[in-house]
Amino acid sequence: MSQLDWMKDAPHPIRSVLVANRGEIACRVLRACNEMGLESIAICSDADFGALHTEVADRVVHLEGESLADTYLNIEAIIAAARSSGADAIHPGYGFLSERAAFARAVQDADIIWIGPPAEAIESMGDKVTARRRMIDAGVPVIPGQEIIDSDDENQLIDALVAAATEVDYPLLLKASAGGGGKGMRAVHEPKNLQQEFLAARREAQAAFGDGTVYIERLLDGSRHIEVQVLADLHGNTVHLFERECSIQRRHQKVVEEAPSPVLDVSTRLAMGNAAVAAAAAVDYSGAGTVEFLLGSDGSFYFLEMNTRLQVEHPVTECITGVDLVEQQIRVASGLPLSFTQENLNIRGHAIEVRIYAEDPSQGFLPATGPLAVFRPPEGPGIRLDTGVREGDEARIDFDPMLAKLIVHGSDRDHAIRRMASALSEFVILGATTNIGFLYDVVSHPAYRAGETDTGFIQRHYPEDWDAPKPSDVLLLIAAAAEHLGIHRKSGDMAMVDDSGRTTPNDPFYRLNRRYP
Amino acid sequence: MVDLKMQDGRIISVSVGGNPLSIIRALEDGGPLDLIVDTARIDSRPSRLVIERNGIESIVHCARVGDRWWIHLDGQVHVVDVIEPGAVDASDSEGAFTAPMPGKVLDVLVPEGAKVREGQDLMVLEAMKMEHRIAADRDGVVVAIHYKTGDQVDAGSVLLDLVEDE
Repeated sequence: MSQLDWMKDAPHPIRSVLVANRGEIACRVLRACNEMGLESIAICSDADFGALHTEVADRVVHLEGESLADTYLNIEAIIAAARSSGADAIHPGYGFLSERAAFARAVQDADIIWIGPPAEAIESMGDKVTARRRMIDAGVPVIPGQEIIDSDDENQLIDALVAAATEVDYPLLLKASAGGGGKGMRAVHEPKNLQQEFLAARREAQAAFGDGTVYIERLLDGSRHIEVQVLADLHGNTVHLFERECSIQRRHQKVVEEAPSPVLDVSTRLAMGNAAVAAAAAVDYSGAGTVEFLLGSDGSFYFLEMNTRLQVEHPVTECITGVDLVEQQIRVASGLPLSFTQENLNIRGHAIEVRIYAEDPSQGFLPATGPLAVFRPPEGPGIRLDTGVREGDEARIDFDPMLAKLIVHGSDRDHAIRRMASALSEFVILGATTNIGFLYDVVSHPAYRAGETDTGFIQRHYPEDWDAPKPSDVLLLIAAAAEHLGIHRKSGDMAMVDDSGRTTPNDPFYRLNRRYP
Repeated sequence: MVDLKMQDGRIISVSVGGNPLSIIRALEDGGPLDLIVDTARIDSRPSRLVIERNGIESIVHCARVGDRWWIHLDGQVHVVDVIEPGAVDASDSEGAFTAPMPGKVLDVLVPEGAKVREGQDLMVLEAMKMEHRIAADRDGVVVAIHYKTGDQVDAGSVLLDLVEDE
């Protein structure tokens, strides 16, 4: 575990990293630390005792409490945990505190290395108005939009809202200023829905980010959502790692992501990459970041925002470039230069990621809960699974409904699509409803195969709820045979789940009785 | 004999027997159904069965959680409910609006006694930090509201009672 040769010339050497997150991204980052020979330290709330990320880590610090405010959003407690565990550095993952400049500052004020961009860059890009000005100055094109100044006076607020909406024009998009991940985001097609949607967006934003400020942007229907990965070190080197296409979205939540984009030509790719590098350089960026663009049908593109963190969908970029983004983040934070230049980077093959959610696509995509009684992911060449759960865990209501990210890498887009379809049909999750069947349908859709992946895809092809496949009579045989054979009473994993779905103590008499029905 | 409820609402009584197992009797509404000629046998690994259809074998994953069999067949997940003797099917009590998932009541938009139109929003729930609106599925009168703003609800909780307008 002391193979730290790569660190010996680092200006700010790192020996141990505390990961201030949970779930799949905590596992992802903790594993990178383990691979690099760094001590990996997890944090966990009361509800996360025994969670997968606590097993991946070398050590775990328990943060008392169940609420996010007491645990994963508690800056003081996290810094105290880093101090008590002797962590040299903190990696924030995505979500939670990853884009809070105050957290970045507090970490650095505590003499702990922050594995992330400078607090000033987070602030500039986190405030949409500042970001727009900086982008306009840097020559990066932007979408028409307006910020609504929050006010305690309801009438004043509504007046400001209506004025801003009229200025931007319909259809428009309400976005949480502090937001991401579709929370606090609402499309408004007609003025009569404006007030109701605004209040809902504000409540969601307040609940999710602790900041109810909402921003209005022109909604460009039928456009593509394309984002460019950038990496910058502390020595003035900024590179882009090509684009990801994230156009398949539902309620502005990404569902399918891929790299490279099926439509970008070489010259647009180059122009967008250069614009992303210019955007990062304009705010003195360092570490990993993502510059999002909307691509119009005429090939024009607009800066949307910059995400000053690692993205959920970063694995597709890792697949096609061969770069481990988390490793580079840690190298950059230690003061080392990037281990490659722009000229070293090439696109190899095609990668697709789908997000497996515990939700019911045939019931309005409502979140679903339940035990992961069976959880058997696909395996084989070119398949990667990033998850924070395993068999026996529970899909719960208290965090994001994302169970896992399934990523495939193929020699070209067609190959990757076939590999994804095959992997999805092999993925067995029983006990909680998931969107796996829906995802299979999406990647098998002729329009998806043809690369027609604009942001209206799901609404256009699935205007009603998704129709789950019709039950066939063979299910009668299977259920009756399973019941007759007592599949649920066999020793092994299922012996631990009783008829109420709860796990029971491993009582030998219980098992003995149940084994011979 | 086991009573099974399919996703489409059909309730069928099924008996299996033989080795490998096949359906020896299936009754729907008291009348016999055509027998399915497929067979099933146990697999030595947990949570699996092997079925044979037209001479072709395939592996099926299945797990029982509560009264529900979860079945992974040909890349798709299905559920089949086991109706235990004496159980009452409470899924379609008329006029009741139930919570589609566990969550918190964010807002109650109508008072008790309110006349509402089809499509009108009645309540706002929050789950997974997303808002979900509960809307009237017909014109009617809200005769009872069982939760207030801030209350936690479980999936299936009856939120309010709506009686069709005469």
